[in-house]
Amino acid sequence: MPFRTAALAAALLAASALTATARAAEITSLAIMTPEQGTDFGWNQQGIAAAQAVAKAHGLKLTIAQGLGYGDVRATLRELADDKLGLIIAHASGYNTAAAEIAAETSSRVAIVDSPSKLKPGLVADYTLNGREGAYLAGIVAARVSKTKTVAVVVSGEPPAWNAQSYGFAAGVRATDPAITLRYAVIGPAAYSDAAGAKRVTDAAIAAGADVVFGQGNGASFGMLQAVDTAKPADGHKVWFIDVIGDKSSVDASHLLTSVVWDYTPVFEAMLTDIKADTFGTHGYHLTLASGSIKLLPSPNIPAAVWDEAMAAQKKIADGSLKVEETYDAAKVHAIMTSVAATP
Amino acid sequence: MTGLGSGAFLGQFAAGSLTAAMPLLLGGLGEQLSERAGVLNVGIEGMMLAGAYAGFAVAYSTGGLWPGLLAGAAAGALVALPMLLLCVRWALDQVVVGIALTLGVQGLTALLHHFAFSTSYPRLPAPELWLGRFPLDYAALAMCLGLAGLYRHTLLGLHLHAAGERPVALDMAGISVSRLRGAAVLATGGLAGLGGAYLSEVSAGVFVPFMTNGAGFICIVLAMLARGRPLLVLGGALLFGVSLSSATALQLLGVDVPSDVVQMLPFAVVMLLLVVLGGGRLPAALGVAYRRGDR
Repeated sequence: MPFRTAALAAALLAASALTATARAAEITSLAIMTPEQGTDFGWNQQGIAAAQAVAKAHGLKLTIAQGLGYGDVRATLRELADDKLGLIIAHASGYNTAAAEIAAETSSRVAIVDSPSKLKPGLVADYTLNGREGAYLAGIVAARVSKTKTVAVVVSGEPPAWNAQSYGFAAGVRATDPAITLRYAVIGPAAYSDAAGAKRVTDAAIAAGADVVFGQGNGASFGMLQAVDTAKPADGHKVWFIDVIGDKSSVDASHLLTSVVWDYTPVFEAMLTDIKADTFGTHGYHLTLASGSIKLLPSPNIPAAVWDEAMAAQKKIADGSLKVEETYDAAKVHAIMTSVAATP
Repeated sequence: MTGLGSGAFLGQFAAGSLTAAMPLLLGGLGEQLSERAGVLNVGIEGMMLAGAYAGFAVAYSTGGLWPGLLAGAAAGALVALPMLLLCVRWALDQVVVGIALTLGVQGLTALLHHFAFSTSYPRLPAPELWLGRFPLDYAALAMCLGLAGLYRHTLLGLHLHAAGERPVALDMAGISVSRLRGAAVLATGGLAGLGGAYLSEVSAGVFVPFMTNGAGFICIVLAMLARGRPLLVLGGALLFGVSLSSATALQLLGVDVPSDVVQMLPFAVVMLLLVVLGGGRLPAALGVAYRRGDR
């Protein structure tokens, strides 16, 4: 009897393993959907680049649906689902509701962002990412480089990823120089492509005394860069821009202080591994300095001593001796920005 | 001196308010013209976006903002052409055609940007000012007064009013409703395109896909709430600009309220005041296609 039970268990395990292998063999394709073209030196470009890298590494057929905008993408999702792709990466926080719906409707695997509560084993995975550790390092650089001792954070919305980085950046500034005044402004509820609004808000932040602007915006970032470029502060000091996700040094190296660069490749790799292991949709994914999926962009505009200070902090974060708090809560972001009384 | 109480900040507050208001004023005046003639121009978002792209592309290639503004107006009118044909000549649904135009232009401008500018993201130099403002600002204010005079004191204004209220009466008076509405639609496209070009050339100094970000729809709201009065469009646009700058100032001051509440401020203030002050009603034949012989 024990032998029979053991044999049955072994058979079940073997069947399970075979099924998993079969599933793995089924993954021959993936798709990524992005709201803007993959040429924004940011969210969309980095996402597509990572999908291409993963597809190339695994010999997968890749479908890129880019420039879909921020509206309803159900039609595109259904078309992709009809193609029976191994994985659809819905690369925008505005797509998470529709993608989860279509996944349930068509049994297609989807990866969504900013919705950790929507995990569904085998079907829906969430990759709410943030580069808070890199943003902390950027905060150190900003605090050291600022001459006016006023630093601004300008964001195109308050999605979880932006909030986590805003908080990490502010924590880095506070830890380096508690006397620095932080100014914080949101361009609009979802102003990711509002370059004009970004310029107006950044102009206001500079007029309020900021000489370093930490900007999170997608397409709106180019409006921030324009504001920094055309700024004429009364004191005549130079204004710097710190970017996130991509590397805009080919666009404007003279005003770009640094960038918190994201690499999604390890995340998409991990998704494929999870699909093969049948653990897709059971947990989230993270970007870390230790894994190399986050890095602070080196720049000749950063003084060597400041860079060294940031790299020393990076080591501490990597070995766990320095923790950067992970928070997605906008209220906590507002609180840390105003934690030292600003002089109006 | 820098800081939130400085002259630099207050100056930026005023400049930011006006710069945010101008595209809305131009687009709102255009939308109002179309609505007075009885055509609900939902495609204005697309016309603004076309103007933004064309204006930026021409300004960048010629090195002059004025050629860009002209190109923006022309691009807006070009996008209005299908509206003229489909809605005025062939009496198709104005809302459906307007939405289709907007979606089409969004895709087209994103594609054009992809091929022309996506690897370099060029930016324009800051515009040269005259008496502290970009000269088009003064022209837009003059245009506002001019349109108010046109609607109130001229025969053309009366014809536009009739086209929106009782097109059949205009037809019986021997005036071509189609021609008048068509001209209004094209002028609307031109004004919206000009507003879009202002947005990319003056407000942002750069073009990015989808950059109108719903400005065209705000123009529709301004025009509808202003009930045919250009000065109320001006008031609404300025109020919107001031509210946007106020929302930014409150955040920079560190006022601890949820950002969503602060961001709602411009929309709430403008709608409230225009509803209170607007009065009047929309043209009776607004959105209704006119076919000769219909009663």
